Amino acid sequence: MSAIDTLVRRHGLTTCLLLPPLVFLAAFFVVPLIEVVRGSFFAPDLTFDHYARMASEPLYLRVVSITLKIALLTVLLCVLLGYAAAYLIATASPRARQLLMLCVIVPFFLSTLIRNYIWMAILQRSGLLNHALRDLGLITEPLALMYNQTGVVVVMVNMLLPFTIFPILSSLLAISPDLYHASSSLGAGPIRTFCRVTLPMSLPGVVAGALLVFIVSLGFFITPALVGGQKEMMISNLIDFHIRQVLNWPFAFALANVLLCGTLVLYFLYARSVEGRLPRTAFP
Amino acid sequence: MIGTRLRRAVVWLLGGSVLAFLVVPVVAVVPMSFSSSDILELIPTRPGLVQYERFFASPDWMQAMALSFQVAIGTMVAATVLGILAALALWRLPERVRRPLEGMLILPRIVPSIVFAIAIYRLFLDVGMVGTVPSLVVAHTVMAIPFVVVMVGSALRSFDHSLDEASRSLGAGPVTTFFRITLPQIRLAILGGALFAFNVSFDEVVVTLFVSGVRSKTLPVKVWDAIQHEITPILPAISVLVIAVTLLVLVPALLIRRRAA
Repeated sequence: MSAIDTLVRRHGLTTCLLLPPLVFLAAFFVVPLIEVVRGSFFAPDLTFDHYARMASEPLYLRVVSITLKIALLTVLLCVLLGYAAAYLIATASPRARQLLMLCVIVPFFLSTLIRNYIWMAILQRSGLLNHALRDLGLITEPLALMYNQTGVVVVMVNMLLPFTIFPILSSLLAISPDLYHASSSLGAGPIRTFCRVTLPMSLPGVVAGALLVFIVSLGFFITPALVGGQKEMMISNLIDFHIRQVLNWPFAFALANVLLCGTLVLYFLYARSVEGRLPRTAFP
Repeated sequence: MIGTRLRRAVVWLLGGSVLAFLVVPVVAVVPMSFSSSDILELIPTRPGLVQYERFFASPDWMQAMALSFQVAIGTMVAATVLGILAALALWRLPERVRRPLEGMLILPRIVPSIVFAIAIYRLFLDVGMVGTVPSLVVAHTVMAIPFVVVMVGSALRSFDHSLDEASRSLGAGPVTTFFRITLPQIRLAILGGALFAFNVSFDEVVVTLFVSGVRSKTLPVKVWDAIQHEITPILPAISVLVIAVTLLVLVPALLIRRRAA
């Protein structure tokens, strides 16, 4: 102990505390990421070929457009469905609220892989949903619910809904009840109060949730790989494909760099837009 | 009055369906896991524990589970120690320096896992560490640190500074002060952070797919392989077991977090 105390006295306690985690993250997180960025430009000489190829080949542009389309659809549905859920939770009695919150929190923390597997069991050709629909006499031929964009979006919405529910809920709960009383005593009906008070006041939560879902959707890997299949590749799956199948590392690095920069820029925007407007507890 | 009732009914119907959409799939897997047949059925015609027996009798699956626990416990220890150090340092820094550092420590949660996966895979390939337990622990620790920093950090913010100062002014060194004064007050938050760290590792699949190599497959990686090859009837049983482990770890962690908030 005294040896440590001497060390601390000489170098300052904060530095000594910070050094191990910083060195660890620098070595195993920052430097490897920098290597990815470097590897996309130098192979070994400076080249922009990989980026040019990404922008010129229709195949890769298709992957980027599929990624954006799936992400935007996911955001839209997460906002609409998430708002409905958050509104119910916010207006329920405190005891019911506890229980309803559990319905959001518990699935959120369960393994993403396992939940994807369960969805595959539900959506596949001989899956539970097709069985049920056939038993009810609604269909004769099994529906193609998987290996298409619809399946991917349904499952991604299921995974990402909590990211909109939590911030919308916290901005709904932050609205002062006085505003509702004022609105109704001034003669506004419930629908008008919702449109003129509730909705605008909860907008920061909606924006925060939407941005967060969009950011996470862009880098989604498990769902498109399992539920989407080869046809509905998103950018993450294309990166994986180039590392493990094609073994074209520099090109994969270039793709990864695009995804990384996009994510970081959006996250920066998100952090600035949320700053001070949402309570810290808005996210799990 | 009827209008109010009707509106509540609509709110419950819409919101309730969304919550059901979240919960039902997770619950549906429980009856599925008791099936004795090789096809998936929601309500088993001949319920039994066949799939569970199959899982526990398979040396392959047992090995994967043992490895998962080994890596998760290693990650829990490493991430907790590094996370506590970081949280303590951040707590002592002025706002201006703290903010950017905090941002950097949280970054592993923001960077897409596939990007981190290929980055760390490249590093471990270069040093010949792919497929080793330490490499898995290191990769998972990077991803688990943010959880510990956030939990311990929020506990420290609500901690009474004057006790710390009193201890120092009475002549205790910083290390003694930490173990005698600070630690007892943030014990619960540390436990919560540690449990989250365990959970991060126990569930991780994307980065693990790359780093684990051919031989050392964790439970999620084996599940991934099994899903890719066929929908095996053993998977619902494994899903239920994984969910059970997660709940066991998570429920105390969530309770601790709620107490802190």
